[in-house]
Amino acid sequence: MAEQQMSEEQLKALQEKIKQMSPEELKEFQKKQCIFCQIVSGNVQSKKVYEDEHVLAILDINPSNPGHLLVMPKEHYSIMPQIPNEEIEHIFLAVKMLSNASLRALEVQGSNVLVANGVTAGQRAQHFMVHLIPRKDNDNLVFELPQKTIPEKQLLEIAEKLAKNLGSRHEKKEPVQIPQIPKQKEIIEAEFDESAPGKKPASEEPEKKTIKSMPKTKNPPKKNDIDLDDIAKMFGAK
Amino acid sequence: MKSKESCLLCQIVADKIPSYKVYEDDLTLAVLDVNGANPGHCFVIPKNHYPILEQVPDNELSNSFIVANKISSAIFEVLKVQGTNIFVRNGIPAGQIVAHFMINVIPRRENDNINLQLTPKQLSEEEMSTVELKLKEQLKGKGVEKTQRVQKSAAESHKQEPITDDEDNYFMRQLRRIP
Repeated sequence: MAEQQMSEEQLKALQEKIKQMSPEELKEFQKKQCIFCQIVSGNVQSKKVYEDEHVLAILDINPSNPGHLLVMPKEHYSIMPQIPNEEIEHIFLAVKMLSNASLRALEVQGSNVLVANGVTAGQRAQHFMVHLIPRKDNDNLVFELPQKTIPEKQLLEIAEKLAKNLGSRHEKKEPVQIPQIPKQKEIIEAEFDESAPGKKPASEEPEKKTIKSMPKTKNPPKKNDIDLDDIAKMFGAK
Repeated sequence: MKSKESCLLCQIVADKIPSYKVYEDDLTLAVLDVNGANPGHCFVIPKNHYPILEQVPDNELSNSFIVANKISSAIFEVLKVQGTNIFVRNGIPAGQIVAHFMINVIPRRENDNINLQLTPKQLSEEEMSTVELKLKEQLKGKGVEKTQRVQKSAAESHKQEPITDDEDNYFMRQLRRIP
């Protein structure tokens, strides 16, 4: 994010310096370098839409969709595992409130909540933040989660290790026949069959391995404004 | 009315469908996804049935995210991965496929074919301002309510180990890689 052009030499020197730093120094250094800490303190301008004691929500200047928000703790944390439970609670209750507000204010019908921990996961800023992205049909935004076939033995092994690490007991049982999670189309039909026929996403390839947001169509169907209650009704709730 | 009986995840909660559970408390359950995006992909769900995020009561929602954070930390430690994503698909246009609110916790490795890339759209200054105004208007007078921080299943059943600033700590090493 706060990337400035540096010569190779400068970069090397900086990397060397960072390597030498104690964890405390490193933390201090990162805070000073952190553009989001500067935004929190008001030194750098931003479009703030919500702020309280613990949390700040601003519009992303490179939004994936209109209303794309960055929800961040005011305190500097680099990654999520460092954050105390009370802060996690506050941050995600803010996310809930903000998602609710954008459903109402921006006439969207959904949202994605995304956190990236680590560079490999797509983390680009050194300040922990939650992306909240309003979604509507045919918005040309695609997230893909492949569905991989994971061997039973591996599943069992991972489940045991994780359960142990989490301090919970994983009852060791004989490998059971795990029913395959139905593919996308089946689930949609099973779960959403009460939505208006026009609202059913048209997925022509039931065997599709990846889950895409929405097929792109040239003429998106006109939709009426949808409020939270309508969205709930699509799922068959009250 | 779709009810709990027809919900795949409610049946997992009720143990009617076998699953690889990795964590469970009064409010929340975490299970390995058998067709995960990567080995170790877990989903965290409130035990009660709520289709979308906005319907999940505050204490159940925060407990779920606290659990998701714990799972994410455990994944780092156990699977030695380079990253994790916390990902929620809320509503049909957002890609939600099961009508039971769910948080995905996904281990990440290089070149793992997962696309959670945020692609920017060009918005005019005017569009940005309009969105800003609409959201601010909607949020007027609203705030995160101080919740009764008693209902802390996850927090209490599992002692929280703060991340130490130990040299060899995995997270600290990751930190250094962040530009």
